[in-house]
Amino acid sequence: MIISTSNHFFGSIRFGGCISVGVLMIMASISHAADISKRIVRTSIAGIDVIAYPTDIKDVVTIAGALPAGDALATDNIAIASLTGMMLDKGTESMDKFAVAKQLDQVGAQLHFRVGEQALSIRARSLKADLPLVLRIMADELRHPALSAGEFAKAKIEFSGSVQQRTDGTEYRAAEAFSRAVFPAGHPNRQPSIDEWHSAIDNASMAEMKKFHEQFYGPAHMVLVLVGDLDIPKIKAEIKKDFGGWSGGLPYRSAPKATASNTPVDHVVFLAAKTSVTVLAGEATGLQFRDSDSLPLRVGMAIFGSGFTSRLMSTVRDKEGLTYHIGASIADDTFNDGDWRINATFAPSLLDKGMASTQRELQRWWKDGVTLPELEARKNDLIGSFQVGLATTDGMAGTLLSTAQRGLPLSWVDDYPRSVEAVTLDQVNGAIRRYVDPGKLVIIRAGSVGDDAAASR
Amino acid sequence: MFKGSVHFNDPAGNSVKQYLAAHGAVFNATTSYDRTHYYATLGTQSLEGYVAIEADRMRNLWLHDADKQAEMTVVRNEFERGKNNPNNVLHEEVQAAAFMAYPYHHSVIGWKSDIEKVSVEQLRSFYDTFYWPNNATVSIVGDIEPAVALALVMKYYGGIPRSPHPIPEVVTEEPEQTGARRVTVNKPGQLGSVEIAYKVPSALQADLPALEVLGEVLSNGKNSRLYRTLVDEDLALEAGAGVESLRAAGIFVVTADLSPGAAHEKVEQIMLAQIEKIKSEGVSADEVNQVIHQYRAEQAYGRDGTDAVISDLNEWISAGDWTQYIRYPDSIARVTPADVQRVARQYLAVNQSTTGWYVPETSK
Repeated sequence: MIISTSNHFFGSIRFGGCISVGVLMIMASISHAADISKRIVRTSIAGIDVIAYPTDIKDVVTIAGALPAGDALATDNIAIASLTGMMLDKGTESMDKFAVAKQLDQVGAQLHFRVGEQALSIRARSLKADLPLVLRIMADELRHPALSAGEFAKAKIEFSGSVQQRTDGTEYRAAEAFSRAVFPAGHPNRQPSIDEWHSAIDNASMAEMKKFHEQFYGPAHMVLVLVGDLDIPKIKAEIKKDFGGWSGGLPYRSAPKATASNTPVDHVVFLAAKTSVTVLAGEATGLQFRDSDSLPLRVGMAIFGSGFTSRLMSTVRDKEGLTYHIGASIADDTFNDGDWRINATFAPSLLDKGMASTQRELQRWWKDGVTLPELEARKNDLIGSFQVGLATTDGMAGTLLSTAQRGLPLSWVDDYPRSVEAVTLDQVNGAIRRYVDPGKLVIIRAGSVGDDAAASR
Repeated sequence: MFKGSVHFNDPAGNSVKQYLAAHGAVFNATTSYDRTHYYATLGTQSLEGYVAIEADRMRNLWLHDADKQAEMTVVRNEFERGKNNPNNVLHEEVQAAAFMAYPYHHSVIGWKSDIEKVSVEQLRSFYDTFYWPNNATVSIVGDIEPAVALALVMKYYGGIPRSPHPIPEVVTEEPEQTGARRVTVNKPGQLGSVEIAYKVPSALQADLPALEVLGEVLSNGKNSRLYRTLVDEDLALEAGAGVESLRAAGIFVVTADLSPGAAHEKVEQIMLAQIEKIKSEGVSADEVNQVIHQYRAEQAYGRDGTDAVISDLNEWISAGDWTQYIRYPDSIARVTPADVQRVARQYLAVNQSTTGWYVPETSK
């Protein structure tokens, strides 16, 4: 559904028991799923994979981009990729960070970089008229960051502080422990420990950072998605002008598949005076998003743990009242094999009950499988929410970027509803049995486990 | 409100959750100080069914004690999750100290003992007091003719009568603050934080746009005053400022998350010094113009998708005047540097402030 705000009408009226009603009519052109790929313009400009999707929205352009420069690629010092990413908005060879920020702020444009496990992600948003400015600054920051010693020292302090801040978070600590139990040393999805981060930050050098920038920053594997009010010929010319002559870049890192643990893991990360415990429970799947078993497993996982009508929410939350949130999903499978995981929170005093209920539902789902009515209802949910997600420039840009990163053709966006419709009950239940083994579950509980009194202070 | 109503419920297979999930909707509900709203983003073809369910649960809600018992621990876990976050805890304590009498003293989710002990009769009483059409607004945004949308609302809500009693208004008035207030939160943690709050007028008052610009000048972007004096000086990981505008009153909040080794006293002094500097020297036309341009761009971004539009619109409805959704950007555009200096002087007085420190006790 593509929405335009070009014409709108607001009406307000009171009637009946005097309820107020407001209707804002937004003239929308509904793009049926099969129309999307026909409107995409995909081309290589200056070595960058550029994907442009014009919509009817007026004046707004959203950019989602990425290139391989994530933490998993920094093999000598694990902090270098993040520190390099943090330096991008700290000034360029020709402007200090205040001058760069002023240019963007004066027009209300947004440009952010974030370093993840494998990728440096780029997100930007501006008015149409300001897009050339955003592209110019983006190129300058990626190609010619100042990388000054003073800013590097500040970045180390900031990074160290943010790691210290995370030390106290149950969600972060559970995710850290989960990834380290599920993925072997050297796997891109395995997170460094808090101590490893601090040690790496302390030891990080300017020379390592400059070397990383030189090695990994380039157009060779970069994707840039633009969605919104686009003048495509002009955009092509701007990108060519700003990024022309840039070279280099290395591919994302592949790694041997992680295998499910041979023995179950039950690990506690104790944090004092936490009133809610975060639980992660799951396993490596050995699957990437583009693998054929991935979609049936995803559909089965959605029945188990996605949204208010999932089995976990309808039993552990709605019927038994043991948690505010419980869900199950598949994660981290864009560039390499990922995991499936249950994510829940429980009061320390209800943790045992909550875990028992969760295990019961897991066993039931795994042993008996899902039913045909559940499958049919979930297909409607998945297809409908996918289309709702494409109704904003941000949602569309993110979907197109992840499609490209997953190594799928962009026609996948059109094909997805049909692919979901085609999934059979046997495929779903077969995938659950093949990729889930409740007997080898990795369970992480982070919080004031076993300290109910302290947690309730 | 998600446990079923007379005509739409789980046993019948057509509850709000079942219907919206089966139609691929994105949906939920949120509560705030002044309002609760229920929302869904869905295809136009599914709208009528959703309107029918919302109308039914406005007056025909199931309120069973067994459902209340199960939901109590759910809401308590929501409360517990919030308490895990040091800055949430600090903000609640600062706000509770800033407002002594007005209901904004209480956090939105309430106190733990209230969550645990509320009876189903109390829930019924609240529902029967406030869930009436003369206390509600239905907003529909999207690809639909207004006449069609209005007819749908008439069809399903039209037969619901007005409330038998007037919707009660809050009569409590916040007494004048007689001096600076301070709170300290000590809990296990890693890094400290500082929050300074000042009570300001309600959302529809004329000084709100200038206060909003003041917050942006203080904290938005690398050229903001708090970034340059706190973040860029390695004293804070983040610093923020802004106005939380509500129907009856608001608070202007200035915050800083301390860097490792930074002292609360020093960070607080710098925050106050920056406020005093604006009071004495004012702000520049460049600073104000930049905020105005940013706000204009934000308005365009805020039209990107129906859910963005409706959430913004709903807050103005809650504040008491939906037309501000249209008119407020013009109010921001008229703010002058003199306005910003004036509101800083008028509302950001030390003896009207409430300051909170989160002081972590070291834990491993």
